[in-house]
Amino acid sequence: MSKITIYINGKPYKVEPGQTIMQAADKLGFHIPRLCYHPKLSIEGACRVCIVEVEGMKNYVASCAFPVSDGMKIRTNTLELRQARRDIVELLLDNHPQDCHVCERNGTCELQRLSYSMGIRNRHFEGQRKDYPADESSEAVIRDPNRCILCGRCVRLCSEIQQIHNLSQAYRGFKTVVMPAYNIPMKDSVCSCCGQCVNVCPTAAFLEKNHTKEVFAALNDPSLVKVVQFAPSVRAAIGEAFGLEPGHNMEGQLVAALRRLGFDYVFDTQSGADLTITEEASEFLERLQGKGKLPMITSCSSAWMKCMEQFHPDLIDNISTCKSPMSMTGAMVKTYFARRLKVSPEKICSVAVMCCTAKKYEAARPELMVDGLRAVDYVVTTREAAWMIKSAGIDFLNIIPEPFDEPLGISSGAGVIFGTTGGVMEAALRSAYELFTGQTLVDIEVQAVRGFEAIKEGKVVMDGQEIRVAVTHGLGNASKLLDMVREDPKRYHFIEIMGCPGGCIGGGGQPYAGVNAIPLDEDALKKRAQVLYDLDRHRTIRRSHENPAVQRLYKEFLQRPLSPISHKYLHTHYKAKEPRGVIPRS
Amino acid sequence: MVTPLDLIRKKRAEAVSRIIGKGYLAAKRVYVGMATCEIAAGSKEVMEVFKQAIAKGIVKDVYLSQKGCAGRCNLEPTVEVIETGKMPVRYGRIDADKARQIIEKHLKGGQVIEEWVIG
Amino acid sequence: MMEYAITICEGPTCIGRHADRLRAILLEELAKRGLKDHVRINISGCLGMCHKGPFLVVNPGYTIYGGVTESDIPVIVEEHIVKDRPIARLAVQEDHLFNRFYRIFGDVGFFGKQMRITLRNCGIIDPENIDDYLALRGYEALAKVLTEMTPQQVIAEVKQSGLRGRGGAGFPTGLKWELTAKQPGPEKYVICNADEGDPGAFMDRSAIEGDPHTILEGMIIGGYAIGSNHGIVYIRAEYPLAVRRLEIAIQQARQHNLLGKGILGTNFDFDIEIRLGAGAFVCGEETALIQSIEGARGMPRPRPPFPATSGLFGKPTLINNVETWANIPVIILEGAKWFSSIGTETSKGTKVFALAGCVVNTGLVEVPMGTTIRQVVYDIGGGIPGGKRLTAVQTGGPSGGCLPESYLDTPVDYESLAKAGSIMGSGGMIVMDETACMVDVARFFLEFTQSESCGKCTPCREGTKRMLEILERIVQGKGRPGDIERLERLGNMIKKASLCGLGQSAPNPVLSTIRHFRDEYQQHIEQKRCPAGVCKALLTYTITDACVGCGACKKVCPVGAISGTKKEKHVIDQAKCIRCGQCYTTCKFNAISRS
Repeated sequence: MSKITIYINGKPYKVEPGQTIMQAADKLGFHIPRLCYHPKLSIEGACRVCIVEVEGMKNYVASCAFPVSDGMKIRTNTLELRQARRDIVELLLDNHPQDCHVCERNGTCELQRLSYSMGIRNRHFEGQRKDYPADESSEAVIRDPNRCILCGRCVRLCSEIQQIHNLSQAYRGFKTVVMPAYNIPMKDSVCSCCGQCVNVCPTAAFLEKNHTKEVFAALNDPSLVKVVQFAPSVRAAIGEAFGLEPGHNMEGQLVAALRRLGFDYVFDTQSGADLTITEEASEFLERLQGKGKLPMITSCSSAWMKCMEQFHPDLIDNISTCKSPMSMTGAMVKTYFARRLKVSPEKICSVAVMCCTAKKYEAARPELMVDGLRAVDYVVTTREAAWMIKSAGIDFLNIIPEPFDEPLGISSGAGVIFGTTGGVMEAALRSAYELFTGQTLVDIEVQAVRGFEAIKEGKVVMDGQEIRVAVTHGLGNASKLLDMVREDPKRYHFIEIMGCPGGCIGGGGQPYAGVNAIPLDEDALKKRAQVLYDLDRHRTIRRSHENPAVQRLYKEFLQRPLSPISHKYLHTHYKAKEPRGVIPRS
Repeated sequence: MVTPLDLIRKKRAEAVSRIIGKGYLAAKRVYVGMATCEIAAGSKEVMEVFKQAIAKGIVKDVYLSQKGCAGRCNLEPTVEVIETGKMPVRYGRIDADKARQIIEKHLKGGQVIEEWVIG
Repeated sequence: MMEYAITICEGPTCIGRHADRLRAILLEELAKRGLKDHVRINISGCLGMCHKGPFLVVNPGYTIYGGVTESDIPVIVEEHIVKDRPIARLAVQEDHLFNRFYRIFGDVGFFGKQMRITLRNCGIIDPENIDDYLALRGYEALAKVLTEMTPQQVIAEVKQSGLRGRGGAGFPTGLKWELTAKQPGPEKYVICNADEGDPGAFMDRSAIEGDPHTILEGMIIGGYAIGSNHGIVYIRAEYPLAVRRLEIAIQQARQHNLLGKGILGTNFDFDIEIRLGAGAFVCGEETALIQSIEGARGMPRPRPPFPATSGLFGKPTLINNVETWANIPVIILEGAKWFSSIGTETSKGTKVFALAGCVVNTGLVEVPMGTTIRQVVYDIGGGIPGGKRLTAVQTGGPSGGCLPESYLDTPVDYESLAKAGSIMGSGGMIVMDETACMVDVARFFLEFTQSESCGKCTPCREGTKRMLEILERIVQGKGRPGDIERLERLGNMIKKASLCGLGQSAPNPVLSTIRHFRDEYQQHIEQKRCPAGVCKALLTYTITDACVGCGACKKVCPVGAISGTKKEKHVIDQAKCIRCGQCYTTCKFNAISRS
């Protein structure tokens, strides 16, 4: 289509038709202030911060929602408009706690930034403020309605991207509040614990349940052996919490910083990921040989597991019984490593730094207990870890990188790429192919399962047998994929599902978007993913089962993949947890 | 070919004959307002009085029908008595007792009760 | 008892043809013959038969004499009244859908001055019997479009009629139909918005309870015009009787092949289902209504896209409100030309109002557009009872505004009301006398909109709350300098920045009362005085010299603030007085002053 002319503040510009005023203005260098808008979510038009004047219109229009048309005359910065916008932001502030300096989001809060840029230096309309109790029931996510400005991003994210539909506005007028249906506690709700609401929330209305206090307490307890592990995607993102652009690998710095914090041993969750793959690839081959259901579906993502138990229990038999890398690592810490150290597992404090909020929920699952103990005592998110490092006065950016500890410090390239969507599948195929055919997979980088498309499909031929695989990320996409599976159960042999958009690199516990950045920005996610793919490429060992640490584990403790002892410590089971009000699938 | 217009005209003729079959051509027709507002004001009881009177044969040659609300909120319940060739009589603020009097005086005695008439 | 009633149309056209002089001559003639007590003379508003005016309608019998001249008057009196012989030579045949209504009610002043188009059958037929509707040319309009008109012709007719949406915003109905019809695809929806939520409004309820088939017929015609097979009536669950009557009507229409497959022998299919609303005011807003039908929380979404292009389940959707639909069969049968002869230049046809408040005749009123508020309040409503003074007329419900006495000659049409600072809205009209405090009235309506705000957009959710807080402190005597300006600043912002019509109109009651009654606000804030004596916190009760010392006030005072000995003047302890007003209403000697 040919370009049209619009006028912004009196000057003509040629723009593409079929876009909104905001989209056109963005490309022309007019960044119209905004709040509820998010490019990945439906247009809400709720906050009214992005209003502009359009000649001929009686009222202001929301530039996020209104399409451009030929000859349209737009004004973005008149005095009247500036005052209206300012007043709108003040109205939001007036019904918001006045305690920025003690808020978790101090410095990363979009309302705070907006308030500054709108020039709100005094108040005209202050009055009553809402007063709702915070819901701290969930292991993973805290909901604090008092900080909520009702932009609806969490509601849209939860229903549109994750399709969990746990959150909705309730009540009317000034009493409006975002809550799960019937105001049931988050713990009892269908919340998957994915934490994406925390990511998209412009304020601190959603936060992870903070466990830093407990971790600091443990670090100061001389009777404990302090062990920490961290996930692949943490190293790819934590730099952002210290002001770096996305795309920096901070593995060595993080190991060093965790030691400075007082951890005795720093292990790599990637090592556990290699263990997961070795088990999972073996499990897949068993299923392929008729022992168990196909397609096999991965179980690493704890948000996906909770979602599956609630909404897809008909597929429980398809879910791999393998625990996640975090839980496998934790299990090895409390058994194999404890025996090696000759300390009682009760005396080990096992901490995990995760890109994820749902891992907090996973760590508390009773099914995952190891000999009556939690495999992971505390999970902290990337954000919490960054705060701990800052809080302890550690110069993270200038610290000299250090290597991991033995025996769970070595990982293959396959373990690294776990952190991004498609990584588990690629890693599993590398091992499965070799275990099945006895030959080495030549084209080790399985491009078909890389990238950010909603549903990726791939094929590998193993000894003449075609193995069809699918990969998806985000729980909404998962539902779509599973419906395809229900329609045609033989369509795939193996499916990877990650609960968060982009996989773990886009996890609910990752650093907040910086100034002028958008939460869940795909370019940032791609840069994080690239960190992991680069790490993989530079590894000499790129297949999980070749990891010497894993091989030693089997030799000294686990015997062989899928052995009884492996089953005891590395595998689990799931059960249907159909939520209230949901009609079970027949 | 039979058109929809032909069909609807036929339906109308049938409807009219059904209404007549129900006694529409009676000497007097009585309408009782039966919208939510009228019912709230007490028109159900009024309707019942007329129904009983007809059922028990106290009045004869009377066609009784419910109707919606014409819009006289402050005068509900309303009742109309219509006699061919005469001015329609519209009563307002009728209760069961007044309905009995309308039956006695107006329907049986032919006497309009002026003080209740809506002008 | 009057034996005859003669109605003289004194609509603008007939007045132009000296109908008022005919009336004088008629009165003279009747007096001369001593017939004054036997014939009641009525003046009506425009009866929509202008081309044959001036005319007299003689009841019983509903004989219409058209083109009446002065010399006809004695003939009519002699022949028709004295000898009871209607004069065929002078009578005209005017076959209108509303004839039946006027045959029964035409001589009642309250009704005679109205013009019943949409309510033409309300109060004269049994709404639960389709036969009654069929007998009054029911579904003939549908049969007509199916027989003789293409969908394009139907749309052209509606466009030409000048009908505009009666839900409040006044969007041209025909244009809406055309936009929806133009959308490609076989799946489209027709919706009747019966989510009547304004406090005190009951037009839609009465219309559905009194004549449900009219609405169904309008919707079926709409479906035919835009190419839809699926109609939905969205009605609030608080209207159980209306719902039941709709259900009965739908059932009967199906039995008569007026709904369902192959309507009236054609290949046009259309059916209607009922969806109940849970009572949220905002669900009257079309996009919120659609969300509600879809099973989501009823919250408006930005437009465009308009429902005409992307409505229910993303399909093109035609939404009109009850009153708009009820006009359709009339437009089809009487013709767009006739319809557009009623009303003003830009607002055609009639409008139904729910007349309430301090007025003698409260009720449902349908008048031609262009009728003045004064005519509605005084000619139809019978004026203010108890010899009190009219202070304001509120139109448009919580989205509308208050107009002062000086605006009584404002004609009711979309533009004039908006210019005066109010809106047509869905048709609430509340008359207020001197006992109404304008600040308190504004506070009342704002309290309603604030608690009914869907909570989605900031200006409406937060802004109306702050406005309400300011109004609350003003009526409590805690108003601050600058409060009026704060209200205006917020109000104007909310009007222009809110997402939907509810928010955009929420400040109207406040802004219009500030515009027309600014001094009342000032008195509240500066002198801490409520001129109407409504705002309790601002009242002072004192006992005047008229006190005879009966002690009645002392007895009723709940806080023991009144003291005094028998037969002597009593006093009120202002520190104790809670301003409940008990003494004021109890005193038989007018000895308590309230200021």
